[in-house]
Amino acid sequence: MPTTSITYDDKTVRRFMTASIFWGIIGMLVGVLAATQLSWWQMNGKFLEMLSFGLLKSEGLSYITFGRIRPLHTNAVIFAFVGNMVFAGVYYSTQRLCRVRTASDWLSRIHFWGWQLIIVGAAVTLPAGLTRGKEYAELIWPLNIGVVVIWVIFGVNFFWTLAKRNERSLYVSLWFYIATIVTIAMLYVVNHLSLPTSLVHSYPIFGGVQDGLVQWWYGHNAVAFFLTTPILGIMYYFLPKAADRPVYSYRLSIIHFWALVFIYIWAGPHHLLNTSLPQWLQTLGMLFSLMLWAPSWAGMLNGLLTLRGAWDKLRTDPVIKFFATAVTFYGMATFEGPLLSIRAVNALSHYTDWTIGHVHSGALGWNGFMAAGMFYWLAPRLWKTKLWSTTLANMHFWIGLVGILLYVAAMWVAGITQGLMLSETNPGGATLKYEFVETLRSINIHYALRAFGGTLYLVGFLLGAVNIYMTARSGKATDDTVEVEIMVTGKKHRMTLKEAFSGDPVIYLVLSHLFMVLWFFLPPHADKAALLVAIGLGIKGVIVFRANPGSWATYFSRLIENHLPFTILIFITAAVGGVVQIIPSLLVNRAANVEDRVQEIYTPLELAGRDIYVAEGCYNCHSQMIRTLVPDVLRYGPGPTEGYSRLGESIYDHPYQWGSKRTGPDLSREGGALVTGSTVMRLGKRDNLWHFNHLIDPRQTSPGSNMPPYAFLFEAKADVKSLPGKIAAQSTLGVPWPAMTKDAIEQSARDQGFEIATALVKAGAFLPGKPDLSPELLRRELAETEGVALIAYLQKIGAYHTVGKPALKPAPALDPDATRATTR
Amino acid sequence: MFKRIVYEDWATIVPIISFIATAGVFFIATIRALCLPRHRCDQLASIPLSKTPDEP
Repeated sequence: MPTTSITYDDKTVRRFMTASIFWGIIGMLVGVLAATQLSWWQMNGKFLEMLSFGLLKSEGLSYITFGRIRPLHTNAVIFAFVGNMVFAGVYYSTQRLCRVRTASDWLSRIHFWGWQLIIVGAAVTLPAGLTRGKEYAELIWPLNIGVVVIWVIFGVNFFWTLAKRNERSLYVSLWFYIATIVTIAMLYVVNHLSLPTSLVHSYPIFGGVQDGLVQWWYGHNAVAFFLTTPILGIMYYFLPKAADRPVYSYRLSIIHFWALVFIYIWAGPHHLLNTSLPQWLQTLGMLFSLMLWAPSWAGMLNGLLTLRGAWDKLRTDPVIKFFATAVTFYGMATFEGPLLSIRAVNALSHYTDWTIGHVHSGALGWNGFMAAGMFYWLAPRLWKTKLWSTTLANMHFWIGLVGILLYVAAMWVAGITQGLMLSETNPGGATLKYEFVETLRSINIHYALRAFGGTLYLVGFLLGAVNIYMTARSGKATDDTVEVEIMVTGKKHRMTLKEAFSGDPVIYLVLSHLFMVLWFFLPPHADKAALLVAIGLGIKGVIVFRANPGSWATYFSRLIENHLPFTILIFITAAVGGVVQIIPSLLVNRAANVEDRVQEIYTPLELAGRDIYVAEGCYNCHSQMIRTLVPDVLRYGPGPTEGYSRLGESIYDHPYQWGSKRTGPDLSREGGALVTGSTVMRLGKRDNLWHFNHLIDPRQTSPGSNMPPYAFLFEAKADVKSLPGKIAAQSTLGVPWPAMTKDAIEQSARDQGFEIATALVKAGAFLPGKPDLSPELLRRELAETEGVALIAYLQKIGAYHTVGKPALKPAPALDPDATRATTR
Repeated sequence: MFKRIVYEDWATIVPIISFIATAGVFFIATIRALCLPRHRCDQLASIPLSKTPDEP
């Protein structure tokens, strides 16, 4: 067999690893700041006044309010810290698993610098309030395009490397990398489809329930295919290397891979349980989340059991210590995930910090510790030296572990406490026992503990960074050079697409499923025939398999030697779940899909206010969805006609704002009817002055609130000029705005602003910084501010008009006696 | 008209179809795994370990 000498490109690996550590520190630092803000509202900017001994006067600094920096934290940790870590692991292991240098150094460089540029773009735009208003999908559209371009470059470089490989079979890690690349591309593109209105603003093309569904199809699978599958690929490579023994069960890894890739994508709707999301989608989300238990634990057990016979290393080797703990956290988080997806459990946990604790046991334990283990393993090899300090690495481990445990335990207790308090009723069950703010006050200590736990984790990570830095300094950056056998691929090894898709396993699987589906949809008798055919195909499949089991095994062996058909099969496997869930939801007639309520169209100023609400990240604390649960309805939707939120109430909202956690109360019923004599001004649950005072100083109206002060909103002018373009974009997306000229739009916004400002002045509002303004000057000062536009929106939230009610379906019989009564 | 009542019908059908589809994929993957000869398994499992002189 001819051989050749190759030098691996380890420079790219070193770059990504360094970037990951750098952004990890930044992301965690921002996380600690965000955590402290929940216990001490002063951390939203007031602390700068104290630090500078009054030199910097600030009630709140817009750039670091919780609503703006929480997205910065989540994006930094997911895409900057874990993203760069994944790229480091993928570039290192792929070259070695393929026994070839990465196909293009040039593409590697563009990938690295392009990704860092996007992160810098995010770090600038998110604190500036430039956002799309969807969780983990906040980046503005030019950055979205940048992500897609860089991802494609990464994909091209990766698949090109696979094509040049000198190893015939694709190892398990590469399967997970392939699944990551193709699935993230699909999810990202669909969820980021937007209609731009300017260079920094766009509206998602989906609205209301459709936007919610697409968002959580993406959001859940960002966890699945960005934070799980690539890390599993890394686990399957680096764990055997660190333990110096092969993976526990290769067979189990096959089942683990296909089951995980197929099931994960279906589970997104579990983020919308008990909402107005259609029932069949909620059922799917719960069912598939429960099924995820099996493949997730298969992966965890496979990882842990790979350490069989190497457990003694746990005492001495920090790499094994980090890996073993990370895999254990993976097992714990993937046990908890399906548990939280059970509808009854979700009723308690959703919108509380239990979910935040769950996410962080995965992020800190699974991702963070896998990253640390991989960095400690890589650093001595990339710089050809020994780890600088094993003691320091051990300290990192223990400080980090205590940090995670404190964090997660605090969030469990906080979440369950808040969930229970929010649903507790007074004797008789007709009224609720606690105000929202009381639940918040009761968990304040847990928030402080969370901040402390997070700080500990950051301290541990900093020790790790020092250790890696000193290790690098003590060695010399060197790329590995190895002698490898050149793989000669003959015709017999190549599998054409036709062969791949006409193989027995695929044919029998697809046909039997097709007839199984026809069984549900065909008319009587034809359905039974379809079922018989499906069973017949199943039996025939078994006969074919028994006659020649070797051919089935050969098929799969050849499949993992041919990356193109393998990739297409993975894509189809992953796409099925999305197609089944999303296509029916997109095809329905939106205007008719409202149950009995249709949302009122916003006025221009209300739209401007809504955009400010989105930009300030209010959705990070306030939901706009009253769930179909008695406590939710009692708390937020009282009244015989209001109740829980219906589909139609947010049907024209681009983006949807149902939220995913409640640090403040739900706002679905905040808005109200028009004020008598006015054509635009509305009055909801609270008057304009209450909202004004609440934004200037939340504790003035809600004692104990941890909301940041938004006084700065009354210093900035609302962007009225951009409204015509925004309204035109919304009309294109199907929002039935009335025909208006550009001037009429701007004039309408100014008139409504003036009307609200007049009401505020009449009610006695004053600006703390300018208490001496005359009423006329104050009215002019306020009329065009962002704050007044936001008040206009808050007074409109949830406004709807009723339409013809759908025919009532007869109530299902709950017991045999009821059935007898209706059939007699 | 696509009202909520229509959605409810989907609730009884789609999860069942989806479950069967998943079971099918799982079944095929399991067969594939079980069919793999032992020596081939060992060979594939040791890909990361062999021929890589990357000790520090």
